[in-house]
Amino acid sequence: MINYLIQNPQQQPESDIPWDGVPAPEIDGFGQLPVQAATFDHVDGLFYFTYAVCIFFFVLITGVLLYSVVAHRRKTWDQKPLSNVTHNTPLEVVWTLIPLIIVMIMFAWGFKGSLDMTTVPHEAQRNTYKATAKQWSWGFTYPDGTSSLGEVWVEENKPVQFLLESTDVLHAFYIPSMRVKRDIVPGRYQSVWFKPITKGTYHLFCAEYCGKDHSRMYAKVHVVDAATMADQPWNQVPASDDPIEDRVAYGKQIAKTLCASCHKITPTSTVNTGPSWLDLFTKEGDNYVGRPREVIEGGETKTITIDDAYIIESIKSPAAKIVAEEPYNKGGMSNFDNLDDPRIACLIDFMKSLAGN
Amino acid sequence: MTTNTPAVDVQTTQPAAPRENYLNCSSGFKSWALTLDHKRIGLMYLVGTGLAFLAGGVFALLVRLHLWEPEGLLFENTAYNQIFTLHGAFMVFLFVIPAIPGSIGNVVMPIMVGAKDVALPKLNLLSFYLWLIGAILAAAAIVMGGFDTGWTFYAPYSLYTDQAVVTIGLAVFILGFSSIFTGLNFIVTVHKLRAPGMTWFRMPLFVWAIYATAVLQVLATPVLGITVLLVAFERLYNIGIFDPRLGGDPVLFEHFFWFYSHPAVYIMVLPAFGIISELVTVHSRKPLFGYKLIAFSSIAIAIISFLVWGHHMFTSGQSTYAMFAFSFLTFFVAIPTAIKEFSWVATVWKGSVALNSPMLYTLAFLVIFAIGGLTGVILGALNVDLHLHDTYFVVAHFHYVMMGSIALAFIAGLHHWWPKMFGVMYNEVQAKIACAIIFVGFNLTFLPQFIMGSRGMPRRYATYVPEYAPYHQASTIGAMILASGVALMVFYLIASLLIRKKAKENQWGGVTLDWQCPTPPPHLNFDDEPKVVHEVYDYSTLDYDSMQRDCS
Repeated sequence: MINYLIQNPQQQPESDIPWDGVPAPEIDGFGQLPVQAATFDHVDGLFYFTYAVCIFFFVLITGVLLYSVVAHRRKTWDQKPLSNVTHNTPLEVVWTLIPLIIVMIMFAWGFKGSLDMTTVPHEAQRNTYKATAKQWSWGFTYPDGTSSLGEVWVEENKPVQFLLESTDVLHAFYIPSMRVKRDIVPGRYQSVWFKPITKGTYHLFCAEYCGKDHSRMYAKVHVVDAATMADQPWNQVPASDDPIEDRVAYGKQIAKTLCASCHKITPTSTVNTGPSWLDLFTKEGDNYVGRPREVIEGGETKTITIDDAYIIESIKSPAAKIVAEEPYNKGGMSNFDNLDDPRIACLIDFMKSLAGN
Repeated sequence: MTTNTPAVDVQTTQPAAPRENYLNCSSGFKSWALTLDHKRIGLMYLVGTGLAFLAGGVFALLVRLHLWEPEGLLFENTAYNQIFTLHGAFMVFLFVIPAIPGSIGNVVMPIMVGAKDVALPKLNLLSFYLWLIGAILAAAAIVMGGFDTGWTFYAPYSLYTDQAVVTIGLAVFILGFSSIFTGLNFIVTVHKLRAPGMTWFRMPLFVWAIYATAVLQVLATPVLGITVLLVAFERLYNIGIFDPRLGGDPVLFEHFFWFYSHPAVYIMVLPAFGIISELVTVHSRKPLFGYKLIAFSSIAIAIISFLVWGHHMFTSGQSTYAMFAFSFLTFFVAIPTAIKEFSWVATVWKGSVALNSPMLYTLAFLVIFAIGGLTGVILGALNVDLHLHDTYFVVAHFHYVMMGSIALAFIAGLHHWWPKMFGVMYNEVQAKIACAIIFVGFNLTFLPQFIMGSRGMPRRYATYVPEYAPYHQASTIGAMILASGVALMVFYLIASLLIRKKAKENQWGGVTLDWQCPTPPPHLNFDDEPKVVHEVYDYSTLDYDSMQRDCS
């Protein structure tokens, strides 16, 4: 299972991009939409119906237009038009009524489809996840109360509902391959449901602008079979006696999905919202020694030495000690209560692995 | 009309001296800064909104360049967010909304109805200065650190971000008043200052369009003003209106914002429709097909446009009943819009179609607007919109309308009335080349965005998953081509003012009053009060001599 999390051993080791290793979704035969991995096929049906209607009218309009321009172009400067017709009532009635009928068909089809998408079936209600959006990461809670961050596992052929909540600003939950999108409004719950039918890993985007790292607010959606689900791949946190490489890899996975949008975790990263992680510790022999750091605690500036306790406090209540250096001294990090201690321990191991000698 | 006799310019005896017109009747800074002449105010708007368009275009190029690479080429994320916000805010508030009514509308509309000026000339000047103050405040907001909220200022992000939101909000508030005053002025002008014989159904369709726009400006803009004011109060005094932490409701902001901003789409597009109606008939030398239906469809669009704002919020979680009504009405508004497009094409049919540069820009409009309008129908379908909302499909759709249609109509109108405004002609060959470049560049920029949008690329992304890279790169190349076309256009238009090749008295052979008055128009537009005795667009009355005579 650990290998499952590490995902793609060939990937560039220094990358901090959250969607690394997720394959590009396949595109359907018309080249317009990702192949659908959920059951809302009326979306694609209506999309291509309206598309075809649009192409028909576009060809009709531009065809008549271009024919007229070529055939009736002015050859002498004082040429008179071939016709002085000002209107034609039957024609005007026809080109009012026919489009009206067509758009009413589209309306009814689209409305019926949207009812299907917003009416959550009982089966999905019994399989309800919670998705918590915050600037700029996703957290998920499973029906049994366990949780994961930055990626989520759902079972193939089992309808699932996501209850959506935001802890700060507007976000939107968007899985293109599943054809679902819903704004997440702070202060209220929204929900979406879908029935995943194809195994694979899919993009989950934030589709409502939410500030600086909006484009980095990303999660992976894994559609897996029931046997894999039963193993709870999201819950396989390496224990303290597991090999250090596994713990570091797991910590890095968390860092990439939760932390890398603000903190520099690779030498090539240009991220500068929060303090860099590259210089938290130094390695002396086999030991990692925390560097000293100036922080502001309760308005007073003091020097502390970085250690595990400081890091845990900074994750759970970031405002307690703020780094005194510009531009970090304004604070602003939100707390990550949903990170439990085993995960934080892996994260700290990852931080230490970044230490220079 | 007033009975004041205009300061009649006595025809000078020396044939060499140019006739007095609104450009040379007085000179000096004050004669422009304090002018009450609608034509001069219109020209000041033209310069101002034109500069805003170029600034917005530079921001657009920066956005496109940055997106060349999936991880971004130029900026860190906050800077990118500021740039796309500036692009949107400059283009919408400083260019697309005021440009056509403020410049072409100001210069042409009073002449078209046979008036000496707008009804309230001082208010007209005030409108311009309010626009100028708004523009200066918007520029100041950049200097003060910029703003990164998107042009939509969605709460609660716009309440939390530590940037110059209040300043740009104030700019938008003031620009709103500029817009309201212009609308008010034009409504009164159309009602009160029409020349004898200019009945409602003899008004050129540009006047109808400007009139419908003016009604929208007066009715819708106050809601925007109140909304940005509430955001400012909330930021400054912590009054909970939109912030859920203070008991407010962010969705309420969306309702307020789109209650203005959807009608605003028609505030932007109706004047463009008006320009196209004029150009199609003049350059086809044929009465506009379905005049009354087009006039009524402008009014129908104005009314229905107040009732469709919720289609911007299909994913926001509004009630099913609201979705039902908004989707239904959205499809409904497609009908009057389709009627216009069909009528324009029918006007070209069997006309005497001149392929000069204004007409080429018009044809480009007709093709691009067909795509822009039709893709709007795709987005109106509720379940499809749930997939496409907030993706590049929407971005491409509204650029086909905003840039490809409205800006192109503005450019077409500018080419059409340029000889009337200045009495000079630009280089037609260069103009045709620029039109072709702009058309190709535009489509190369935005067609790929439809594809990546339907494939799921969300908008407002500083970085993106790498599978979209080919489409972003095609789009960026298109933007460069588009920009070079615009640069060529700016070049030959400015050059025409320096070269001063004389335009014809009636360059294109129009029969509305704007082509009956002298070129360029005198200070008070007409030497004698015009009398309208013919139906509008009656080309049997065209005086072909005036098409060959150099303007005086």
